[in-house]
Amino acid sequence: MLNQRSKYLQIAFNRSLDEVRDMIATLPASEKIIIEAGTPLIKKYGKKGITALKEWWGEKIQKSGYIVADLKCMDRGSREVEAVADAGASAATCLGLAPIETINEFIRECEKAGIDSMVDMMNIEFPFEILQKLKKLPTVVVLHRGADENERNREKQIPHDQIHRIKGTYGNVLISVAGGETPRDVVRTFFNDSDIAVIWRSFYEAPENTANLAQEFLKLVK
Amino acid sequence: MILEKRKKYLHVALNSTLEEAAEIISQLPVSDRILIEAGTPLIKIYGTEAISQIKEMASVGTYVVADNKCADLAAREVEMMANAGANASTCLGVAPIETIDSFIEECQKFNIDSMIDMMNVESALAVLKKLKKLPDIVMLHRGVDESEFSKEKQIPYYQIKQIKGNYNVLVAVAGGDTIREVQRAIFNDADIVVVWKNFYQSSTETAQLAGSFLKEIK
Repeated sequence: MLNQRSKYLQIAFNRSLDEVRDMIATLPASEKIIIEAGTPLIKKYGKKGITALKEWWGEKIQKSGYIVADLKCMDRGSREVEAVADAGASAATCLGLAPIETINEFIRECEKAGIDSMVDMMNIEFPFEILQKLKKLPTVVVLHRGADENERNREKQIPHDQIHRIKGTYGNVLISVAGGETPRDVVRTFFNDSDIAVIWRSFYEAPENTANLAQEFLKLVK
Repeated sequence: MILEKRKKYLHVALNSTLEEAAEIISQLPVSDRILIEAGTPLIKIYGTEAISQIKEMASVGTYVVADNKCADLAAREVEMMANAGANASTCLGVAPIETIDSFIEECQKFNIDSMIDMMNVESALAVLKKLKKLPDIVMLHRGVDESEFSKEKQIPYYQIKQIKGNYNVLVAVAGGDTIREVQRAIFNDADIVVVWKNFYQSSTETAQLAGSFLKEIK
């Protein structure tokens, strides 16, 4: 569903649904934007949060928009995928830290439900080791520094060097990078050959500034 | 900590739908030794409403666990779960240490119990050693997907005594779905035994298990 040749800006939304509706309304109607229902938003509103985002973004771009459900699945892969696909998600995430059985089940269920599978490598030193163990590859591998890690431990870095290595070994998989929040981080992400850059913090902190922020960041997506 | 060290608890996890949750809750005996969990799928499907509704369905004062399986943004999640009425919240043991530390701090701030879920963690002791403060409860279990697809993986009962010998925490383990399995977990020194209704079981069976637990395990 994502175009291999295109670059994408994924914006994660975590504020209240009322605020998110206003924020989405002010976004530029660009197909390079991917809308994410963040984990806290899903845990707060459940399926109806995902469905709402799908509707609002669809109204904005006048076609079916791409929505990522940041499920961070850890167990019961099939049940969770079924639920978010039913709610209108175009992709869902699973933790790379989950049991291999869960990741395999998650990828299989995503294929069955016709949505993209994203495996989030947060807190994993060697994403390769996980990918090697899987029966099938996910659609997207997410290299990720968690927000709590970033805040409390500045020296941990996003492993940009992994992007080329993963793409070199597993040609078809797309790479997404999460955890860099500044325009400079986003430039670096794309320079290192990532396909998707995920951001949320500046939007979360200044929802009223959503339109400007999105314009600024979108300029960096070539 | 809200739970008492000398008591043994049965923790009933609800994972299907809120309708089924209501059905099971209405049949459960009333006791402070029965804990009720809003399972991860319920939270992801219904949001925090799953917790507040279960809190409402259950008899007054029931201890409700939010199995939110926090992996990041702990402060945000704990606040949400506590505000929805949870008495305990869960965090993944595989999460970054910074997240687990923040999770435990926030749980203390909101006066709810912190549970660390050691699913897919090789050594629970190694995780506990790295933490700034201990959680109230350590949960040992195998995931549902793991158990289904790799039958040889077992619940690590031997770790219960290891953990309790070294740290002042309660230990919860998944206990299968018969009273015999629950007794086995208690015999191995678990403080809390987690059970859930399998799709092939009736709600009545789950409620009966709770009845047997109260009768046979003091």
